[in-house]
Amino acid sequence: MKKRSLHGFALLCAGLLASPFVAHASKVGEPAPAFTLTDSDGKTRSLEEFKGKTVVLEWTNADCPFVKKHYGSGNLQQQQRNAIAQNIVWLSVNSTAKGREGNVSGADANKIRKEQKAAQIAYLIDEDGKVGHAYGAKTTPHLFVIDGLGVLRYNGAIDNVPSTKVEDLARATQYVPAVLASLKKGEAIKPSSTQPYGCAVKYPLVNAEKEEDCGC
Amino acid sequence: MKHLMLLLVLVATWQAACADTEVVRTDHLRSRVVAKTTAAVPGQSLQVGLWLEHDPHWHTYWKNPGDSGLPTKITVSLAGVSTNRIDWPVPDRFDLGTIVNYGYGGIALLPVTVSIPESVRGQSSVTLDVKAGWLICESECIPGEANYSLTLPVAATAADDDRWSSAFEWAAARQPEVVSSRASYRIEGNDVIVRFEGASWPSDLAAWQLFPAVQQLLANAATGRWQRVSQGWEFRQQLSEYFDEAPAEAELLLTNQGRGLQLIAHLDDSAAALPISGESTDSVSSWHNLLPALLMAFAGGLVLNLMPCVFPVLFIKALGIAQAGGDRALLVRHGAIYAAGVVVSFLAIAALLLGLRAGGSALGWGFQLQQPWFVVAMTVLFFLMALSFAGVLELGGRLAGVGQHLTEGHSDRSAFFTGVLACVVASPCTAPFMGSAIGFALSQPTWWALPVFASLGLGMAAPMLVLTAVPALTRYLPKPGAWMQRLRELLAFPLLLTVAWLLWVFGQQTSTTGMAGLLAALIALGFALWLFHQARGVVKTSAALVTRVAAVVVLAGAAYAVVSGVAQSEAKAQSPSANVEAGIEAWSGQRLRELRESGQPVFVNMTAAWCITCLANEKVALSSAAVKQAMQRAGIVYLKGDWTRQDPDISRYLESFGRNGVPLYVFYPAAGGEPVVLPQLLTAQVVTDALTAP
Repeated sequence: MKKRSLHGFALLCAGLLASPFVAHASKVGEPAPAFTLTDSDGKTRSLEEFKGKTVVLEWTNADCPFVKKHYGSGNLQQQQRNAIAQNIVWLSVNSTAKGREGNVSGADANKIRKEQKAAQIAYLIDEDGKVGHAYGAKTTPHLFVIDGLGVLRYNGAIDNVPSTKVEDLARATQYVPAVLASLKKGEAIKPSSTQPYGCAVKYPLVNAEKEEDCGC
Repeated sequence: MKHLMLLLVLVATWQAACADTEVVRTDHLRSRVVAKTTAAVPGQSLQVGLWLEHDPHWHTYWKNPGDSGLPTKITVSLAGVSTNRIDWPVPDRFDLGTIVNYGYGGIALLPVTVSIPESVRGQSSVTLDVKAGWLICESECIPGEANYSLTLPVAATAADDDRWSSAFEWAAARQPEVVSSRASYRIEGNDVIVRFEGASWPSDLAAWQLFPAVQQLLANAATGRWQRVSQGWEFRQQLSEYFDEAPAEAELLLTNQGRGLQLIAHLDDSAAALPISGESTDSVSSWHNLLPALLMAFAGGLVLNLMPCVFPVLFIKALGIAQAGGDRALLVRHGAIYAAGVVVSFLAIAALLLGLRAGGSALGWGFQLQQPWFVVAMTVLFFLMALSFAGVLELGGRLAGVGQHLTEGHSDRSAFFTGVLACVVASPCTAPFMGSAIGFALSQPTWWALPVFASLGLGMAAPMLVLTAVPALTRYLPKPGAWMQRLRELLAFPLLLTVAWLLWVFGQQTSTTGMAGLLAALIALGFALWLFHQARGVVKTSAALVTRVAAVVVLAGAAYAVVSGVAQSEAKAQSPSANVEAGIEAWSGQRLRELRESGQPVFVNMTAAWCITCLANEKVALSSAAVKQAMQRAGIVYLKGDWTRQDPDISRYLESFGRNGVPLYVFYPAAGGEPVVLPQLLTAQVVTDALTAP
């Protein structure tokens, strides 16, 4: 029983329970938390399904001005298309709780995707915030890159200029394309962890905590 | 004279009218640019400020916004020269569960200082062009920006503008004092430790909060802890989830009730600082934590011997040793085996606990007592021991004799099981010192945790070990005699008191009906034992059989009563504990957050019905008139968390303070001050001192 496995499990549980007191993100260099979610088409999707492929997770909320900046400018769609062209899986995740601004049904999500002309493989709905907490997703946008072995390789911001203004994109460095390029070449990823910026993820406000939720 | 005054006032008002801009209304915010003085003086600096009035619950951000958000930006341009340096007032902390922000709500003023060039001398006025941008958030966020144009008369002297003096005073009071006292930081495992050296720091440093001005260093949502060290203070907080590289210098802000100290902590890379992943660094850094934990566990084990539930058992055993007299070698052997019994039992409980935790249960020390079945078993055990001690039950009978065989007499086996019994009866009592040692143990890898538990067991076994190992000591034990029988009978009464207490715990876990069920079961148990005893004296085998069958039926009835009692606990677990006394609210993470956000002082008491220390503290300290008064006067909200039954919320809360058992007392000062953890043994004085500390 190693400390890590002991803690790992406890943390996962804590994360799943949306504990206000334990704030742990999944760590770069460690296995990314497994998940199973329903996508906007009602299909069940899991991380397992994409084993062997690089996966990008992008936390999103279409009502957030930071998300609007990156979709309004076409930046995110461009990154999604470039990734998919390299056989990389791009998944958007919405952890907005029911009743909070930006919460979507499958149909809403598909409408948004169409409006944005987005290219993600799937748009996953995580209303109860379990997966968001397991990854420690804090903001929209917040990006994670998982390699083919299921190890988390990047956790952080979309780029290095925190703002809501489209014009700032011109002087910003986009992190994920650089991570994907380094992964492909087998180089060290630098930076592999950055401070995400954006709107806070709108997790459920009331912790309807039930023990069974995490199989404790 | 009167007329002159009036004239002066009029002039002042007229002049003042120039020292601000129109209010700009944007989403959830009213803003304007104001000047501190009524005129601009060439060659001097002029303080202007972005005045912000946020809608209730909305806020804008500090230079480090925290986990989300954006810092507010201001650019002030005058005659082609622009400045954007904000003299940031000390921000407030906004806690949104796992997301923490630093910023401002209500009315705030962000000052910017501009130089008025000599070149404007001769002009009648100057105009400052101000551009500001911000992100305003409640739970949703809206970016905003505005342009302002501020025109001020140019004059040789300038007076303060009364209308904005309170706003500028607020900002001035909140200007952090830049301190050059020595501070360094290092990274140990997954923690950042900031060290404040020397005596120039405030003496109440532990009451201050630490806000990082840099990102990617401290985990904003984690609870940091202060510790007094030989040459100052250390503050330990979890490393940021986005930590990448340790900066050579990190700007930090210490705050306490709006006051601020701004400092630079230098990276101390001399002390094997390099982080992050890898068990080895974790373990190495734990070395110097392990020894104190072992010592504390040992001391805690020693204290356990004095607990009312344990003492009778040990005392009788000690007398047994005195009686055994002669054979020294055997005594030493039994002492060692007894110690082994204690240590093995502690390790077994620890292993079970660690195993369950590895399986994901949010459990802590004392978890056994959260299981109604364990309480039932303990009640029965203590009841039987009491009967035996009192001599009511002659423990020759086969059924009741099992325990007796195991623990009485002078065999190796009896020595071992006395050790087990001592551990079992001790488990409800988390003695002082033990709390933090066990908390430490459970947060460590297994091979660290088990030694701590072993040390606890050794501490508990130590008096007996010493007694058996040093023959000279037994001479001081009183000579055996008839008085021993009487003492033994006397000691039945503390055991019966323990039974009463356990019944009450069971009642808390279930209901009065459940408690009555267990009580009836105890009586039935006594009756069944009596029947068995009768059966032995009966000559006719058929009569003996009938008596035995009757005894079994009674036992079955007892078992049924208990099972239905335990079933009540399931039902009760569904409804939150409503039986909270007047003036005390039930603890919940949500409620605590709300109170903290509203800036109210909060006292948290984490307790459990089965925790004797907790009950004693409540009786002696927390329910005392002095403490009640102190709480009332300071408007402190008293939140009580009940861990009598398992509660993962509370387990995690305890964990956030490095604890794994109750009691835990935490005081959160008003206006979001750093929480203060009170000792595990309270007196009214200790509590009132903590509550009224400046």
